[in-house]
Amino acid sequence: MRVVIAATATVVAAVVGVLAVGVFEPSPNPDQLPPGANLFMFLLAAALVVGFVAYAAIEWLQTRRFESITRQFDTRTIVLIPLAIAINVVLGQTVASALKVPLYLDSIGTILVGVLAGPFAGAATGLLSNLAWTFLFAGTPFGSPFAWPFAIVAAEIGLLAGLFGYAGVFRSRPNTPPGKLLAGIVVALVLLGALVWYGILPHYAKLCAGQPGSGGSVTSGCLDLFQPIGSIDPVFLVVAVAFLVLLAVTVIVLAVRLVARRDLGVVYVTVAGAACGVVSALIAAPIAAYVFGGVTGSGTDFLVLVFQQAGSDLRTAVLQQSLISDPIDKTITFLVVYALLRGASRRVTVRFPQGERAIGTVEA
Amino acid sequence: MAGAGFVLPALILGGLVLPGAVVAGMTARLLRWSVIVTLPIAISVAIVSILGRAGATVLFMIGPFDATLEGVAFAAEVALRLFVVAMALALFGLTTEPRALVADLERRGVSPRLTFAAAATLDAVPAMAERARTIQGAQRARGLDTEGSVGARLRGVLPLVGPAILGALHDVEARSLALEARAFDRPGPRHLLWAPPDSERQRAARWLLLAALVALVVGTLTGVLPRLP
Repeated sequence: MRVVIAATATVVAAVVGVLAVGVFEPSPNPDQLPPGANLFMFLLAAALVVGFVAYAAIEWLQTRRFESITRQFDTRTIVLIPLAIAINVVLGQTVASALKVPLYLDSIGTILVGVLAGPFAGAATGLLSNLAWTFLFAGTPFGSPFAWPFAIVAAEIGLLAGLFGYAGVFRSRPNTPPGKLLAGIVVALVLLGALVWYGILPHYAKLCAGQPGSGGSVTSGCLDLFQPIGSIDPVFLVVAVAFLVLLAVTVIVLAVRLVARRDLGVVYVTVAGAACGVVSALIAAPIAAYVFGGVTGSGTDFLVLVFQQAGSDLRTAVLQQSLISDPIDKTITFLVVYALLRGASRRVTVRFPQGERAIGTVEA
Repeated sequence: MAGAGFVLPALILGGLVLPGAVVAGMTARLLRWSVIVTLPIAISVAIVSILGRAGATVLFMIGPFDATLEGVAFAAEVALRLFVVAMALALFGLTTEPRALVADLERRGVSPRLTFAAAATLDAVPAMAERARTIQGAQRARGLDTEGSVGARLRGVLPLVGPAILGALHDVEARSLALEARAFDRPGPRHLLWAPPDSERQRAARWLLLAALVALVVGTLTGVLPRLP
């Protein structure tokens, strides 16, 4: 009930904001960022705040207390948050340097708190994590002066992880009967397909891979998957093939795990991770484009270059890059957290505010 | 247009950050840290915007990518801006003891639970780095594959991440018991036994900086100052 009203307030605030300012006017100069891009970011953030205030106000009116919010910040959570931040900061670096894989993995701790303690605690962890990164560790080897603009993205990840945890996405569902398992996979595939179709593909609609090297002035926009391969520049072909191979490997690995364990939970977590990734990409891309000229200093920057060369302006290219790398990264992170929660002793996990709800009561 | 983007960051750097660094006597450390932090991302910006940005003046071509003068200008602008951001934050970080910052925040009315979380982070990060190093060594000794194929290396994520997080979850148990035994949950005000040294001049400088920030935001929104690209 409160959640519905708060969600409505968020959407209303976002819509009113967009209408009031007229954000999505096409930029007169396609080479530059649309002037509304940063404004849109700001509006989205403001809408989130409005939604939160609405939620808190309604709870106050109903119960004269903020029980459902403060409950998520018990001593245990307060103790977990610093450790989670440390996990965010350190593990991202360790995994990247030790294994040399292009993953960020800088939100494991945030997602962990979101799932175990609740959406608000998760959001607070994300915010604090990026702020600490910038302001508490400035001048030390752990510090990064460029983390704070992404604090709102980290908060969104924690919030979504908390909501998914509340919904029981992270519960283990071992030994599901084959029929149900199959149905679950089909539903998940449909959901994933819808996500890709409505959340990701529209942003590539203007991309025409057939005319590279023309200085980025593509006028006849198209996404023609069936154009003759010869007309595509080899660079794009290589990128596309590499991406498809990566995707195929992921799917196969998942399928093997799925059949071996017959655990439907994996499917749920995958869908949730991908959805979270799409949302964070939508929020993060304008920030990256506006503050950093479109790069994050990681290997994914090459994709920005490729998309820009294929005719997208900077903001669109960054969005296209984020929409590839963020869902993959978040899906993997969600799966890692899921695997860890299954491995953790129940005695430890169920004592957190949302622990029992998130882990479920079925023995794994 | 191209010039305007340089002036403001350069002014802030030359007028505020550098004098501050000289007064604090840590210009060399500051410069070193800022360059180290900014360099990778600046190189990335340079490659992406020089090769990817459309423009009238083409300098040279590499494969399908053409380098443009406009791209060079844009890259320089972004790199300068990031460098100034890094310098300013590093000056703050090197001159401000983080514990003092957190304690002062609490003195000014931020919730003690929040400030505890922030202060604990300061210890938790180096401790976690130490733990990660230990785990990495232990897993290597057990044959963790850090050289093989991508698939093999991806399989190494869980052995590295798992012990760290499970260990942290178990730590929570002991720590929250310790805190509760020391009345962490008690409601009501706290008394801090320490306050940071403060002076009239520092107070005036803070108000001045706050006013400058407001002026900057208002100026940018109303279009008096140049918008960033």
